[in-house]
Amino acid sequence: MELSIDRLTKHYGHKIAVDRVSATLGPGVYGLLGANGAGKTTLMRMLCAILEPTSGEVRFDGKEVSGLGGAYRDVLGYLPQDFGYYPSYTASEFLAYIAALKGIPREAAKKRVKELLGMVELEGVANKKIKTFSGGMKQRVGIAQALLNNPQVLILDEPTSGLDPKERVRLRNLLSEYAGNKIVILSTHIVSDVEAIADEVFVMNAGQFIMHGTVAELAGQVKGKVWELNVPREQAHYWQEEVTVANYRNEGERVVLRIISDEKPSDGAVPCEPILDDAYLYYFGAKEAQR
Amino acid sequence: MELFALEHKRLWRSTRVWICVLLCFIYCVIYGGVLSYQWFVFGNVGIDSTSPYKNNFDGYSAIQDYKAQADKYGDVWTDEAFQQMVKDFQTMEPPQQLQSMYDWQTVSSFLNNLYPELMDMESQTYQPLIHYVDTEKLTDFYEKRQEFLDYNLEVSRQNYLLTDEDVETLREMDSQIEEPYKYDWIQGWSHLLSTSLASTGSLMAPFLAIVLAFTFSGEWHNSTAPLLHTTKHGWRKLAYVKVLSGLAFAVELFVLIAGGEILAQLVYLGTSGWDTPIQLIKLVAVAPWNMLQAELYELAFIFLGVIGYAGVVMLFSALVKNNVLSLVFSLALIEVPGLLGFYLPVWAQDASQFIPLVGSPTDIFRMNMFHIFGKGVWMPWMLITVPVLIGIVCTPFAIKGWARRQKV
Repeated sequence: MELSIDRLTKHYGHKIAVDRVSATLGPGVYGLLGANGAGKTTLMRMLCAILEPTSGEVRFDGKEVSGLGGAYRDVLGYLPQDFGYYPSYTASEFLAYIAALKGIPREAAKKRVKELLGMVELEGVANKKIKTFSGGMKQRVGIAQALLNNPQVLILDEPTSGLDPKERVRLRNLLSEYAGNKIVILSTHIVSDVEAIADEVFVMNAGQFIMHGTVAELAGQVKGKVWELNVPREQAHYWQEEVTVANYRNEGERVVLRIISDEKPSDGAVPCEPILDDAYLYYFGAKEAQR
Repeated sequence: MELFALEHKRLWRSTRVWICVLLCFIYCVIYGGVLSYQWFVFGNVGIDSTSPYKNNFDGYSAIQDYKAQADKYGDVWTDEAFQQMVKDFQTMEPPQQLQSMYDWQTVSSFLNNLYPELMDMESQTYQPLIHYVDTEKLTDFYEKRQEFLDYNLEVSRQNYLLTDEDVETLREMDSQIEEPYKYDWIQGWSHLLSTSLASTGSLMAPFLAIVLAFTFSGEWHNSTAPLLHTTKHGWRKLAYVKVLSGLAFAVELFVLIAGGEILAQLVYLGTSGWDTPIQLIKLVAVAPWNMLQAELYELAFIFLGVIGYAGVVMLFSALVKNNVLSLVFSLALIEVPGLLGFYLPVWAQDASQFIPLVGSPTDIFRMNMFHIFGKGVWMPWMLITVPVLIGIVCTPFAIKGWARRQKV
């Protein structure tokens, strides 16, 4: 099973949302990381064949996805960024409706809906209207609907938005367990989510993949460029202006700064082991990353 | 089938739909049907009236009285019956004359159209002919009606550019009308066919629009469209199901409203007079139809118009992706031709009648002809077929509109 993207491009007038991106994805979990507006959602919608590319193509097992039509959608699970639902529907009614749209036979759908509601821990509120749910609960309904047809290709656009830390951990575990021999692509701007479960990470900026590799590989790219510096509290502001500060931790009257810098920022700075966050900040800069 | 059932159920779950159906029922059946029969159309007219319409809330008993009065004149329209009716009117006291749902109105229009030479032009009485005409002179009703028809055909030939062939077709239709006419109380059927049923389609249209304009655009509004588009059946099958569900709703609304109106008609007017000719309502009508046939035509007109309109509304909904725009376009389709009316060129006025629920089923009373490839077709046939065809043609485009990949 293979999902390949070949010079995929999307223009909106003069604006280039996705710019000639190419990749070949086999089974595994892929994280798509980028600031807001980097082109992640546009790319994902093209991967789902609901947005027509300006040029380039998406192929599933060698066949162009728009040509595959229902056969591709049959193996696809998608959670859009702005997950919409019918307010007057209960969680189980909504999932039953989507199951029918996915062509799942009624009896099998009933069983699957029950199973998924348990999996996302919504079985207790299965018969409550979705409009009464919290943001995190709605997002879990969205995740459940994406998994209804046991998809071979699972595309999740910002699946962790609105989830509390406990729910995020639960989702990560669920996806790791689910992935197996399937292709799971999730976009986010929360680095730790990707770091925890992604086998490979694509970092997007201005519509292009600017980095690609495993978490360790990407983190390794900034080895020797991450430092810790213990300074008096009054100097913290100076350092934040001068260099990229990845973290700021109080220690009594002093603060420990995690600094991303090509060169040792100060004699007192000590090198430390990089993580994905550091690589992300190194390439985007603190301000860009916060967008 | 399961998908259809789910989609149809989903449509009916909306509060908006229930409110629309309820308001439509109240407006068309309760207000336009029951209350008009019981109160402001058929209720007795009097000084002690209970409504701003000057009618009492006694329509049911008043209708029985009108019918009993009509029974006195027999069941065939003859000169003698005609004369007797005018005589009876002239001997009545003014308050009784005021009670307009006796057949005086019809009789009065017959007099004005067929016996204009009997009008008193000198005394400037300003009273309608029925008040003073010498009843002995009211003879040769059918010959007079034929002269009146000939005159109107000539006017239509000149004003509406009817060809000799058209006139011949209309004469041929007219020749099939059985004479003498069967007679029964007319005003009930007149109200039903000229006002009540005639306006039902246009009254239903806004409610249909409010429900169906959101069929496809509502999915974009709810942000469910991207999700539905990535499901196996959501791409095209859902579009078929949505269209079917929308059409099913249109049929259901029609059955509810038309059923309600027919029930009210049966309760208040009964079935008597169903076999009287429509010429008793409009003398120059050439269709050889009785009241029941005319009612069936009008019901077919509404039914097919509703189907046609549903198709067009769903096309708008699939194309614009915005609920408000979809609704505005849907309402504009039926309202704008009426608002612009005479500002439109004649060809546009003629064409606008073929927009679903814009034309009028009362064209069965007129002498309109339409030309297709040089062949004259009686307008009412066009008015029931073209709108539904427009709607049917729209549905594949609605499906295609929904099932297309987004370009932007």
